[in-house]
Amino acid sequence: MCSAENADLPLTVFIGCWGKCPASFGIPQWYFTPIGPAGLSAENNKQDRVKIVGMDAATLTYDTLRFGEFEDFPETSEPVWILGKEYNALTEKDEILSDVTSRLWFTYRKNFPPIGGTGPTSDTGWGCMLRCGQMILGEALMCRHLGRDWRWAREQKQREEYISILNAFIDKKDSYYSIHQIAQMGVGEGKPIGQWYGPNTVAQVLKKLAVFDTWSRLVVHVAMDNTVIIEEIKRLCMPWLDLAGEAAGEGEVNGCLEGACALAEEETALWRPLVLLIPLRLGLSDINEAYIETLKQCFMLPQSLGVIGGKPNSAHYFIGYVGEELIYLDPHTTQPAVEPCEDGQVPDDTYHCQHPPCRMHICELDPSIAAGFFCKTEDDFDDWCMRIRRLSCKKGGLPMFELVDSQPVHMVSVDTFNLTPDFSDSDRLERFFDSEDEEFEILSL
Amino acid sequence: MPPLDRTAQQNKTFKQRKSFATRKMEVEGIRSKFPNKIPVIIERYEKEKNLPPLDKTKFLVPHELTMTQFITIIRNRMALLPSQAFYLLVSSSSLASMSLTMAQLYQDHQDDDGFLYMTYASQEMFGL
Repeated sequence: MCSAENADLPLTVFIGCWGKCPASFGIPQWYFTPIGPAGLSAENNKQDRVKIVGMDAATLTYDTLRFGEFEDFPETSEPVWILGKEYNALTEKDEILSDVTSRLWFTYRKNFPPIGGTGPTSDTGWGCMLRCGQMILGEALMCRHLGRDWRWAREQKQREEYISILNAFIDKKDSYYSIHQIAQMGVGEGKPIGQWYGPNTVAQVLKKLAVFDTWSRLVVHVAMDNTVIIEEIKRLCMPWLDLAGEAAGEGEVNGCLEGACALAEEETALWRPLVLLIPLRLGLSDINEAYIETLKQCFMLPQSLGVIGGKPNSAHYFIGYVGEELIYLDPHTTQPAVEPCEDGQVPDDTYHCQHPPCRMHICELDPSIAAGFFCKTEDDFDDWCMRIRRLSCKKGGLPMFELVDSQPVHMVSVDTFNLTPDFSDSDRLERFFDSEDEEFEILSL
Repeated sequence: MPPLDRTAQQNKTFKQRKSFATRKMEVEGIRSKFPNKIPVIIERYEKEKNLPPLDKTKFLVPHELTMTQFITIIRNRMALLPSQAFYLLVSSSSLASMSLTMAQLYQDHQDDDGFLYMTYASQEMFGL
């Protein structure tokens, strides 16, 4: 936990990160609070601090100026939950930081190629929800291709899969999930380029874009009306089950079956990895407190991809919680757009958040959110269903969404009719009408 | 008497437009005539910008109607796409389980005046 033990770790990462660096410019508060048995003397700490600050100075960006806003991580015995992993804030601070830093951090960027050829070259002031959409999908791609336990380290040799993931989000028109693709696909959702998105908007757009990502073969499902229908998801993730029945042994169906055969060795072959996004509204102007416990439980599920949402007007990517505070990555920093190097490696420093994660009280959360989950295999999905069912049986906290086996009967024949003067009931009803001429509309089954 | 200012009236909520006594009387009257129907008030969230207003506020709905069915009716009425966000919050606060019937909702959430109040909204947008 102390700096000396981190000697072989990228110190510049750890500093500054946890430190509260306001006016005093980068004095990590916790360095002065030795934790655990190996507590170093203040003298040593100070030396390290000086050295580290010196090292860090070389890589200071204007982001550093924002460090003043970041409080040190709390010293608390309460568990810290980050995307389905539990940590102890007293003994695992480095692990927490390393986990947070390993997430992909997408922020506002400037000087990228104009969207649509002539459009904006920066998304500052409008793109924060699009960036949050990138972060939650980026997390899904990391789980898909690298696994949840993969960790980022500065200047390490980049794995091929990692480079491919980063390339899917680079700010240019032909990346699968670039700001260009998201903004342009949003036009079809009634959002002109540059307009603000809600969590559902970006979820719907990601669902459309994922179809073209043949490398990841994801199913992005957006569960509407706060209802998750198991049968619907199984059909989406295993389309060959239906098709195999119909086509009775025909070789190829839209490339899906072919793809499945090609991957037959893999455990995942029979299941297209699922990204489940559930857009919700947990209140009108404020979050209904009855949902708070349930919301926390989202971050405790091993399938958690976190939550996109925000404070009113400002979007954040929530990755966990501690006590009554949500932990989030904030896209509200404008960084210059990044070009991949000629050797194929991507300068990725600015794609990882290297300061302490932001925190806010749960009650500040805007009620419009989308919760995300990743199920790489059918077993993962069955396990998720089992956990959700178990949670909904527990007392305390209102379920945020409903899990059902099959499609509820939507297409009921409902006769709707307005009361009209010649309707026989109208005389009886008349005396209940007031001067506003408001009538009841009668619905019948 | 001056003509009724309809716009001003419509901007007020149902509860603001009518006194508690009037609302209570209204429910008692309609319940006695339609004992197998539940009086429901549906209003658009005051800050809602994406969803259209409904032409009706007061509904009489069958006991056994589920939230799914009810929401389908209203979604159809507004001609919403399946991908558009639409939430019906009971008593301005909670999302009712879609399988609950109106009778169950009424039991737990009816107002003191006897109406069941629901507010609809889409999602907020974020950009700053």
